[in-house]
Amino acid sequence: SSAKDAKSTSGEDDSRDIVQQKTQEEILFHEETIDLGGDEFESEGNETVSEDSNNFVDKLNEQMMESVIISDSPNNSEDDTGELGCLQEIVDQMEAKDNQKTQTEVDKEEFLSNESETEHEETPKDISEIGTDDQASLKEDSIQEAVKEEPKLGNNVPVETKPNNVDESTPEDQMLSPSTTKPSSEAEPIPVCTIFSQANNASSQPQLFLPDGFEPQMVKSPSFSSMIETPVKYNPQVVQPSPSLSKFFGDTVNTNTLASDFFDSFTTSNFISVSNPSASSSVPEQMSSLSNGGDGSSSNPTFPVQNGRPEAGGPPSSIEITQSPKPFSQIQAVFAGSDDPFATALNMSELDRRNDAWIPSEETRNVLISVATQQYSAVFIDKENLTMPGLKFDNIQGDAVKDLMLRFLGEQAAVKRQVLNANSVEQSFVGLKQLISSKNWRAAVDLCGRLLTAHGQGYKKSGLPASHTTDSLQLWFVRLALLVKLDLFQNAEMEFEPFGNLDQPDLYYEYYPNVYPGRKGSMVPFSMRILHAELPQYLGNPQESLDRLHSMKIICAKILENLEQGLAEDGSMTNITQENRQASVQLWRSRLGRVMYSMANCLLMMKDYVLAVDAYHSVIKYYPQQEPQLLSGIGRIFLQIGDIKTAEKYFQNVEKVSHKLDGLQSQIMVLMNRAFLHLGQNNFAEAHRFFTEILRIDSSNAVANNNAAVCLLYLGKLKDSLRQLEGMVQQDPQHYLHESVLFNLTTMYELESSRSMQKKQALLEAVAIKEGDSFNTQCLKLG
Amino acid sequence: VMRLTKPTLFTNIPVTCEERDLPGNLFNQLMKDDPSTVKGAETLMLGEMLTLPQNFGNIFLGETFSSYISVHNDSNQVVKDILVKADLQTSSQRLNLSASSAAVAELKPDCCIDDVIHHEVKEIGTHILVCAVSYTTQTGEKMYFRKFFKFQVLKPLDVKTKFYNAETDEVFLEAQIQNITTSPMFMEKVSLEPSMMYNVAELNTVDTAVESESTFGARSYLQPMDTRQYLYCLKPKQEFAEKAGVIKGVTVIGKLDIVWKTNLGERGRLQTSQLQRMAPGYGDVRLSLETIPDTVNLEEPFDITCKITNCSERTMDLVLEMCNTNSIHWCGVSGRQLGKLQPSSSLHLALTLLSSVQGLQSVSGLRLTDTFLKRTYEYDDIAQVCVVSSEIKQS
Repeated sequence: SSAKDAKSTSGEDDSRDIVQQKTQEEILFHEETIDLGGDEFESEGNETVSEDSNNFVDKLNEQMMESVIISDSPNNSEDDTGELGCLQEIVDQMEAKDNQKTQTEVDKEEFLSNESETEHEETPKDISEIGTDDQASLKEDSIQEAVKEEPKLGNNVPVETKPNNVDESTPEDQMLSPSTTKPSSEAEPIPVCTIFSQANNASSQPQLFLPDGFEPQMVKSPSFSSMIETPVKYNPQVVQPSPSLSKFFGDTVNTNTLASDFFDSFTTSNFISVSNPSASSSVPEQMSSLSNGGDGSSSNPTFPVQNGRPEAGGPPSSIEITQSPKPFSQIQAVFAGSDDPFATALNMSELDRRNDAWIPSEETRNVLISVATQQYSAVFIDKENLTMPGLKFDNIQGDAVKDLMLRFLGEQAAVKRQVLNANSVEQSFVGLKQLISSKNWRAAVDLCGRLLTAHGQGYKKSGLPASHTTDSLQLWFVRLALLVKLDLFQNAEMEFEPFGNLDQPDLYYEYYPNVYPGRKGSMVPFSMRILHAELPQYLGNPQESLDRLHSMKIICAKILENLEQGLAEDGSMTNITQENRQASVQLWRSRLGRVMYSMANCLLMMKDYVLAVDAYHSVIKYYPQQEPQLLSGIGRIFLQIGDIKTAEKYFQNVEKVSHKLDGLQSQIMVLMNRAFLHLGQNNFAEAHRFFTEILRIDSSNAVANNNAAVCLLYLGKLKDSLRQLEGMVQQDPQHYLHESVLFNLTTMYELESSRSMQKKQALLEAVAIKEGDSFNTQCLKLG
Repeated sequence: VMRLTKPTLFTNIPVTCEERDLPGNLFNQLMKDDPSTVKGAETLMLGEMLTLPQNFGNIFLGETFSSYISVHNDSNQVVKDILVKADLQTSSQRLNLSASSAAVAELKPDCCIDDVIHHEVKEIGTHILVCAVSYTTQTGEKMYFRKFFKFQVLKPLDVKTKFYNAETDEVFLEAQIQNITTSPMFMEKVSLEPSMMYNVAELNTVDTAVESESTFGARSYLQPMDTRQYLYCLKPKQEFAEKAGVIKGVTVIGKLDIVWKTNLGERGRLQTSQLQRMAPGYGDVRLSLETIPDTVNLEEPFDITCKITNCSERTMDLVLEMCNTNSIHWCGVSGRQLGKLQPSSSLHLALTLLSSVQGLQSVSGLRLTDTFLKRTYEYDDIAQVCVVSSEIKQS
């Protein structure tokens, strides 16, 4: 900074200095430059700046109005001019003729014009035209031109303006300007920001509206922010009925296996097994038309068990269903399987009651009561109060990995890519599970869709009366959960919509007294409620999520209260054994804890850190065994805010409770926290040491591996860092081909060389072998 | 080149299910297998995995600009005498940021020269990072190229100040600090460095017996666009207090020193320029109240004590006049001579008055006339006093 010191003696000297430097520069680098091709500089932040500039003027105006009011500091005017110091220089040149204007006026205008220029036209008067290609990749050619012009333009600025600046300034201005224009003269290590307490400075505020490209730490997953809009991109044919449907239904054998799997698969209650007919009987027309599309009635499994209430659900049309004997034998088989069918049934209903308990709203309860009291004709349910879901889009299948391979590696390589799809597995829950666990979630979503179509809730069935079963709701849950897992939030929201707030009467077992005799509670799985409540936050409406979570919390608390008062979950007077009550309390406490967890996550996403921390604290009450992890998590929240001291306090508390974990785990956690603390103190070397320490204990620790590599990069050891990450990926691709790891890896490839493409493609090949169709290809940055 | 902002923590979206649900424990197992989740607490959104910055982000005045500069030999030839130079061009100056200026003797294919540069940003506006590389090829040809990376430095904080002058020569400074970035900001330190004339007391903590608690409570950070008010009390130092009566015009109070931290301890620091205040203009003669009762009885006389200070450069000969207002009635003789008053000296004056109207009454109507210059100074609204009817006060 000695050069700097020398420069700062006066404005004119300053600028001359620059002139000299520039000319030297010119001499040095006069020849043609070599284009190294792609430019790794990450300037997306800038890019967004210019995108945002549309609303810029509006925002600017708003700001202007607002802060004109707030100007009652005695030293307004002087401060203000002082603050403008450096910006003035740029613009004074253009405005030099306006000296007659009062200083403040000038300031205001200058700010405006300067602002609009930097944003819209990228400051042509400013340091050269480089601004115009301030996009992700700067074109070398234009830069060259710019460079040659730069000295001329650039020099003009200081030479002309400095004197001007002083001339115009009021005496106070002069007094102040030293502090802004030559911070170094006092050997001051800290930059000086003048205080501005006047209206004018507001015009500089719009800058803060520039999106902080970085900021969404909570939402940081690269896939995450951008994926919200991706559904369209991924399924251009979103709203097309699947062509495979007819085939699916036409195959009788296939359907039979489907039916059997369908009805005795996962559901625990024997009653449920008989449940499906209601789906078909209550909407006979739909079903039959559906089956017509395929082969015919043989594929339409129906059952003698009558749906209690066709009047309530659908049009009171005659029931024209052929009755198949098969399910009966199945039921018998199921019963025969267990030693004591009655005991099992009882036991099951205990479990059912516990799990399905839910407290309906007043309105819903009334409907259910009237259903229960058999007042058929009196029960008239508004169509709006019925749940009429249907697939909103079909055929989500697609394999982004394969698409990329086609693009970059050629057809031959792409052919080798083999993943399971909805056709290649059994059309049943078994196949579904297979798809899920092999991470072929897109195919799994499709399969759910097919199975739902079998329930009469397929594509375009939304808005048509439907009848629900445990199975159909479970299928919906799986489908929607997978959509969320795939970050297809908008699609999930669309399909969730017909379910309303999950409190419609036809979602309760009581609504179907004949199908589910004696069974009470909600068919909607608790996890589906959680999913439903969490969804809005991913679509930018966390407030709605909080509302939903709050009402869930209230019901959970009410159920717990009922249990404590010796009542059943729903508040009815049912005898429950002590043992069962205990189990139920446990279940509902953990569910309440789950709701609190979601709330905390949601608050964290909203960046309301104080409340989020409180919420995580209350989660600890419900999941005491997770205390060390949660406390560490809170510590990391404080680290993210920048509050290192509080983070440290939490990390110390973790060490006190770490005995809750087994030795190795607690050791790792303590080391991990220390490493993070060092990160917060900008000590990457120490952080790296601790991450490496963890690897010594647990060499397969992906987080430590990755984090150590990140630290290496910050220490200027790009090659070492790459080696570590590459080694990790090669060592155990099954685990380490994770989005975040690959993201770091590709980022470093880009930094390393302009020929990063080959290495990225190698990663793609590795991914193609291991990953299913749900892999988020964005992290490869091949686009 | 890549800007090295702090890495961020990977967040995952928890999707859970219960054992009795269709997928069984599949979802939970998937989350367990995901390396980015927290083991044992998979539902916790905030993971431990660090991810590198994915875009340039914003940079603010007072923060440190860090950047990774890597020169990689993509060719299959060894090159020699590589010189890497990184300069930062701001609107007013050009800084050299390279750690070393020595040339590297040779660079083999697929090797690279790495440098991490740091620079504390001290100017607002356009900055251009200029990276220049010169080298010699195997054939002895001298080559060089430059790359430019442009970024804008924004203002992180908006500071507004307001001064309150107390009767007792104390000055209260209220500073409103607004976070005008788009990320939460942890205020590590906001302190007032007083100028030599003042001692400062920070009034931002509530002292309890055990510890002093911040007036901001547990909320240690500022959300985007949030504003926080800090209050400071400044007392003139003894040696200046003597002359306080004559502190006039603009005085320098001090400057605010602000240190903040953002994501993972990314630090920023700013100082304001010297805060200045216009000392309240007392004119030539200052009249201040020394004592006054807060509550008085209706129509009963009460005493006040005034202090009259000569703030001018000359000796004054003062005459005091007392004019009754609608409610305030002065007791005693109006037009009395107060005698000569030397510059910077003061005298104390006891006065008696009564009020004929109930409620909050303003003490007004004092007139001082300097007989030398025949100039009259009017003092109205000197203080307020609450007048109650005597019955109430007795009961």
